[in-house]
Amino acid sequence: MLKKSLLALALSSVFLTGCGGSSSEAPVVTGFAFEATEMITNLTNDVIVAGYKNLNDEAAVFLLATQNLANTATEENLAAAQQAWKDVRVHWEQGESHIFGPVDALSIDPHLDTWPLNTSDLQDLLDSQSGFNATELKAFNDDVQGFHTMEFLLFGDGVADNEKAIGEMKDLEREYLSAAAEVFKTHTQTLFDAWTVANDPNDDKSPAYKDLLLTADNAVYASQLGVVEELINGMIGIVDEVGNGKIAEPFGSSIDNIDTTKVESQYSWNSLADFTDNIQGVQNVYRGEFLGQADKTGIIDFVTAADAAIATRVDTEIADAIAAIKAIAGDNDLPFRQAINDADARVRIQTAIDTLTTLQASLENDVLTQLKEWQQ
Amino acid sequence: MKNLRRAKWSNLAIIIASSIIVSGCNSSSSDEKEEVSQVTYTHVSQLGGDATAVSASDSGHGFSTPMPNLTTEQLDKHLAGDAHFETAFTTAPNSEHPELDGLGPVFNNQDCNSCHQRDGRSSTITLAQGQERVLLGPEAGIFLRMSIDDGECSNPSADNNYCKNAGVDGFGTQLFHRGVLKARDDWQENPFIGQADVYLAYQYSTVEYADGSSVELKKPIFTIEQPYDVSAENRLDSAILQANVRYSPRNGMPVFGLGLLELINEADILAIADENDSNEDGISGRPNWVFDPVKAKNNDPIPVSLGRFGWKASTPSVRVQSLGALRGDMGVTNPLFPDESIANTPLHESYLTRTNFVDTGVDEQGNTEASQEFSDEVVFYAETLAVPARRNIENESVIAGAQLFDKVNCTGCHQPEFTTATGELLVGGLPAPDGLKGQKIYPFTDMLLHDLGEGLADNRRDFTATGVEWKTRPLWGIGLTKTVNPAAGLLHDGRAATVEEAILWHGGEAQQSKADFMTLTQTDRQALLDFVMSL
Repeated sequence: MLKKSLLALALSSVFLTGCGGSSSEAPVVTGFAFEATEMITNLTNDVIVAGYKNLNDEAAVFLLATQNLANTATEENLAAAQQAWKDVRVHWEQGESHIFGPVDALSIDPHLDTWPLNTSDLQDLLDSQSGFNATELKAFNDDVQGFHTMEFLLFGDGVADNEKAIGEMKDLEREYLSAAAEVFKTHTQTLFDAWTVANDPNDDKSPAYKDLLLTADNAVYASQLGVVEELINGMIGIVDEVGNGKIAEPFGSSIDNIDTTKVESQYSWNSLADFTDNIQGVQNVYRGEFLGQADKTGIIDFVTAADAAIATRVDTEIADAIAAIKAIAGDNDLPFRQAINDADARVRIQTAIDTLTTLQASLENDVLTQLKEWQQ
Repeated sequence: MKNLRRAKWSNLAIIIASSIIVSGCNSSSSDEKEEVSQVTYTHVSQLGGDATAVSASDSGHGFSTPMPNLTTEQLDKHLAGDAHFETAFTTAPNSEHPELDGLGPVFNNQDCNSCHQRDGRSSTITLAQGQERVLLGPEAGIFLRMSIDDGECSNPSADNNYCKNAGVDGFGTQLFHRGVLKARDDWQENPFIGQADVYLAYQYSTVEYADGSSVELKKPIFTIEQPYDVSAENRLDSAILQANVRYSPRNGMPVFGLGLLELINEADILAIADENDSNEDGISGRPNWVFDPVKAKNNDPIPVSLGRFGWKASTPSVRVQSLGALRGDMGVTNPLFPDESIANTPLHESYLTRTNFVDTGVDEQGNTEASQEFSDEVVFYAETLAVPARRNIENESVIAGAQLFDKVNCTGCHQPEFTTATGELLVGGLPAPDGLKGQKIYPFTDMLLHDLGEGLADNRRDFTATGVEWKTRPLWGIGLTKTVNPAAGLLHDGRAATVEEAILWHGGEAQQSKADFMTLTQTDRQALLDFVMSL
């Protein structure tokens, strides 16, 4: 790698030699070099595709858990399905740091994660139909399927608690849940296949989406610049959404202005885990590896090539944001739904918002801007 | 790959340095460049002038960034509109989230983004191996317009209802293939069905070049089943299946740069119209004159304006286009369009009766489902999305292609440049942001209607546009189409998977340009395509 300052120096010397003029007359050219192939390969295969594989694998576990619950209504099977829902949720939320490509093109995001759900329609369906299967449920509107519909069926309305007794769950609800989980699994499989087999599920000659990133000189990515820009903007997008949307909107401008109905994953009280996983997903892309894995090449290496101090600072800001979100629960382990209505917790929430604001500003002003300096 | 990239870098320093040395020491090289670059747009990067995107023009975010020259206050309004653009509307009433309710009762999609994915084109629905057709559902970013065939209309006036299309009895002028749960009285058997089911199939053909290479083309074919106005036994009696009903598919299109197009001086557009082909170049180009609901609301005695937006230039402003889609495509009433699209039809009356009039489109105070503020913000959003900058502009093939684009007279319709208006201006009835004014822009459209031949004809009039005419599509940003949405298709029904396919569908006034394109060598054809993809 060639650092920005070294490059500028190297180019300056060429100008002087070529024109014979004074250094003050030479145009100032800045820039830095970074060989991005290894980073793109790693982020594509070991972060994005690996994440979608985890999502698909956990979706299979979740489907099985819902089928067990549909077949045998026990507290244990309900608890297992609830835990499986939380487990699969981890990989989806972490993957929200790279929402581009098939997840959008194939409408998988709205199929899996439409919020809010339509509890009224859901109840009307449960009251009017004699049974449910995946084929017919797949044609239903998105607001009566996906994560949050299944969450509502598994955990109840979340107002007083996030626990549901098996006796509160009707046979048709379990059947609906199982059918929804089956549809869900088809979507996660489609997403994984689009990245690894063919980006158009109906055209086996279309390239796997991962190959479009790995061989950036095609109709989707004209160059590696586009891929890196995609990855950085993806991180910015989810930091913005968590800080200014998922947390700030229910939080409101004051304790008298909160809105619990806007809390994502409010039925399961999984909100803080969602937000943490969102920013964990940012760290995965930034560092190039999942938490606890050996060091690999990530965006941090790209930024280091441009300015090592910025790279380190942003890495710290990501870690700070994760810690600040986790700290919202406090010693009494408040769920987010209750925390927005607690004066002490609101101080911690404001701290989390501030750290996310700082991180977003750094990604926009100090990281994204390096693309202009990058000499591929 | 890794070694190749390093080699490329090693050469880069030399190339950059050398070019600067040559430029700085010998001015003749720029003269040589001028000889090669005869068209004005060859080296232009900032297609939207100061309203060109920053740090987003190479990725899937290329259509989704605000103009960089907005004020802080304008940026806040843009971001509010951005959130609305992604709002998934729900059935009314929604007591928890009244700001989200108003979907339907029949509709084509639940949010703006579903038809304009990442502010670009919608995904073209494909068929699996052996699959003959597919039912349009949540994935579809396409719908059918429809009307009764009543001949051409050329001079809009009160006498001919300003050339507005005549809707189908009991349906209207747009077929809503989806519905809220109880939209139809047979909802328990068919949940979420709209006015009718619409199926999509494809008809395939092949175009061959003189050099033996070929391209397969596909044309969507739509069929309609289960219309609400008849039972399954007598479905052919439905009003929408009669011989005099004309259909036209409408695919979601990109929504960036619209404010700039809105600010092109009307006189500049009319100056290049050539309705009778007086210069005998085979290309006419004429404006569409359309009913303007904003003017009508303001009691303008002649509520007619130049059509600028939509596949047939059938809407006069971003406001009419956006709020028309809000009410039409999603069923969300708003101050400009306060009535549901299906108001006063048997379907609507049945729905209201069965659901105790809880979803009439207006509340007891007369407020529509979308407020004025919501409407203004979503319009402003669409007006102020930045235009992506070009890519690869110094690539040799791209430079050569820029010349060929002019040589085969693509520029005859895809007019490269305009300068937007200045002064105190209203767009859609509100003051235009300063950042849109006085910009030299390169949209590559003349904003006019052209006969594109039978292959693309929908045979449906749209105000004064005939059944073979379409508005010249802007080409700015077209090279990012697949980056923004890899499943996106081009043309009004998404039939073209590539720019090359889109060119090969051209006919009518563009027949000669297509023929000239087809006689180019493969290298030159690729160069022209490379240029278009750099836009």
